[in-house]
Amino acid sequence: MIKAEKLCKLYGAHTKHKVQAVEEVNFTIPKNSFIILKGPSGSGKTTLLNIIGTLDRPTTGKVFIDGEEITTFSDIALSSLRRQKIGFIFQDFNLIPRLPSWENVTYPLIPMGIPVKERFTKARSLLEIMGLEDRITHAPEELSGGQQQRVAIARALVNNPEIIIADEPTSNIDEETSAKLLNILSDLKHKGTTIVVATHDSRFNEIADETFTMKKGRFQ
Amino acid sequence: MNKHINLLLLAAENLLRHRTKTIVVCLCVIAILSPFITAISISEGIREQSLASVEEGGDLYLTFDEFGRNTSVPLKYLEEIRTIFGVKKAVPRIIGRAYFQNKLVVIVGINKEDIPDSVSCISGRMFENPNEVIIGNELARHFHLRIGDQFSMRGQQRKVFTAAGVFTPDSGIWGASLLFMSFKDAGELFGKPEVATDIQIYSIPGHNSEIATDLYSILMNEPYRLQDKQIIELFVKKGFLLKEGIFTALYVVAFALGIPAILVASGFGLSDRRKEIGIMKATGWNTLEVLELITFEQLLISLLGATIAILLSIFWIRVFNGIFIGQFFIAEITLLPKFTVPSKFLPLPFLLSFFFALLLTMVGSIYSSWRASSVSPVVAMK
Ligand SMILES: Nc1ncnc2c1ncn2[C@@H]1O[C@H](COP(=O)(O)OP(=O)(O)OP(=O)(O)O)[C@@H](O)[C@H]1O
Ligand SMILES: [Mg+2]
Repeated sequence: MIKAEKLCKLYGAHTKHKVQAVEEVNFTIPKNSFIILKGPSGSGKTTLLNIIGTLDRPTTGKVFIDGEEITTFSDIALSSLRRQKIGFIFQDFNLIPRLPSWENVTYPLIPMGIPVKERFTKARSLLEIMGLEDRITHAPEELSGGQQQRVAIARALVNNPEIIIADEPTSNIDEETSAKLLNILSDLKHKGTTIVVATHDSRFNEIADETFTMKKGRFQ
Repeated sequence: MNKHINLLLLAAENLLRHRTKTIVVCLCVIAILSPFITAISISEGIREQSLASVEEGGDLYLTFDEFGRNTSVPLKYLEEIRTIFGVKKAVPRIIGRAYFQNKLVVIVGINKEDIPDSVSCISGRMFENPNEVIIGNELARHFHLRIGDQFSMRGQQRKVFTAAGVFTPDSGIWGASLLFMSFKDAGELFGKPEVATDIQIYSIPGHNSEIATDLYSILMNEPYRLQDKQIIELFVKKGFLLKEGIFTALYVVAFALGIPAILVASGFGLSDRRKEIGIMKATGWNTLEVLELITFEQLLISLLGATIAILLSIFWIRVFNGIFIGQFFIAEITLLPKFTVPSKFLPLPFLLSFFFALLLTMVGSIYSSWRASSVSPVVAMK
C-alpha cells in the first residue's frame, strides 16, 4: 500500500523560478491495484511518480509504503527499498550508454552478487518477453526508441518488484508492443503487483482500478 | 563475496567502456611515475655496486690529508705498516684519470697479485711485463681495442701501453671505463713514483683499533687520515641519499605540475558518470556499492598505470641506458666511454608508485562520485 499525505514539491526554492510542481496531494493506493495518472504536460506527473518511487524527496509531506514512512528513510535504506520493492520505468529510458541490452537489464543485480550466468539467463528471458531476443547484445545507441523503452521495462521487472511505477511507458512504442506491454502489466497485476502508470493512452482505462487526474500540481 | 567479484569485474568492464578516459588517466600516471621509478632504480643500482666494491676493498684506508682533502701517501712507510700486528696485507694503489683519445678513463695502478677477485680476464691474460695493461670490456669495445694492440696515453708523461687482456668486472659501472696496470707503470704515467693514492689495509678481524694505535706511532708527525670501511660505506650511502634527495625535490615540483593533469583526466566525462550513478541508484544500488565500484576502477587503473610505468622504466634503462636520468646520478656519464647504467628494481618504489597513482586517481574521482551518489537519483540523472 502506498499512501501520501499533504505532499508538496517546490522546485527552485531559492531562485526566481519557483515552481510548485506538486501541491498538497493526498491519496491512497491499495496493494495490488492498478492506478493511472493523467494530466496535461507540466502538471506534475513525473514529479509525483519520482517521489512515490523514492527517487526524489518531497519538499514537505509524508509518503508511506507498506505502513513505513519512507520520507524519513536514510539514503541506504531507500536504496534497499528500491532494490526489494520498486521497479521504475522512466519517461526517457535512462539506459546506460554503450552497455549491451542484457547488461542494462541486469545492472541492478550486480551488487546483489548474482553470478553472470544467472544474470544472462534472466536478462534473456525478460528480453524475449519484450520481443527483443535478437537485440540482447546491442547497446542502447544501436536500438530504436521503442526498443530502448522495452529494455528499460525489462530492467524494471528484473528484481520482481511489488510496485511498478511507469512514466509514459507507451509514448515511444508502437500499437502492437503497447498492447503487449498492457498484457504484461495486467498479468503482473494478477500476480499481485501494484502498478502506477502515468499515461495518456486510453487503452489503460480498461484495466485501471482508479484514475488520478492532475492539474497544476493538484489532484482533481 | 560474489558481490565483490561482480563489482570488480564490472570495474574492469567499465574501464574498457570508458576507454578514452582510461587511456588518458593511464598516460598521466605513467608520465608522472616512470621517471621516478627509473631514477630510483638507477640510484639503487649504483649504490649497490659502489657498496659491493667497498665491501671487496680493504678494512682500513690510509691517506694523507691536505687542506682537508685526501692526498697521496708516501711509500716509505709501507714496509713498516706491513709489520704491524694484525695487518694481513697492505696494498698501495694509484687511482687516477687520464684521457684516452677524447674519453676519460680511470686508471688503477696496483700490483697484479692485489687485483680484486671480481676482476678476471675474459680474454688474453693478466699484465706481466712492464707497460702491459688489462682493460674493461666496455672500454675495449668502445675503442675497438684488441689483445696485443698498442696505444699511448698521456699523464705527466706520455707512455705506450700494450693491451694484454680484457676483463669484465662484476660491479659494472666503475669497471666499465677502468684500466688496470702495474703500480709502477701508473707511478711513471702520473709522474709520482714515490707515492700511492691510498694504502688499503686488510686486517685480521678485531684488530682495527690496535692497528690504528700502531699507525699513530709510526705516522705521528705526518698529516695522515685513516678511515675504516664503515665510514667509506657511510659516505657512499650519504652521497646517494643526497642525490636521491635532490632528485626527489626536483621531481616533486614536476609532480605538483602533473597533479592537475591527473585530476582533469579523472574528471573527464564526469557528467556522463554522474548520470550513470543516478541510474544505478535509481535501480537499487546503494552509495557504498557505487563507491566500491569506483574504488575498484581506480585500483585497476592505478595497477595498470604503475605496471606500465615500471615496464617503461625497465625499457628506458635497458634499451636507452637510462638516458637523461642517468646523467643526474653519474655526472661524468658523457665524459666516460659508453657503459651500461646499473639499475636495481626494488618492490618498494613500485608499491609506492602504485599507491601514489591510487591516491591521485582516488582524489580525482571519489569525491565527485560520492556527491553524485548522495543526491537524489533524479537530480543525478538530470
Ligand atoms: N528539476 C526541476 N527544476 C525546476 N522545475 C522543474 C524540475 N522538474 C520539473 N519541473 C517543473 O515542474 C513541473 C512539473 O513537471 P513534471 O515533469 O512533473 O510534469 P509532467 O506532468 O510529467 O509533464 P509531461 O507530461 O510533459 O512529462 C513543470 O512545470 C516543470 O517545469
Ligand atoms: Mg513527465
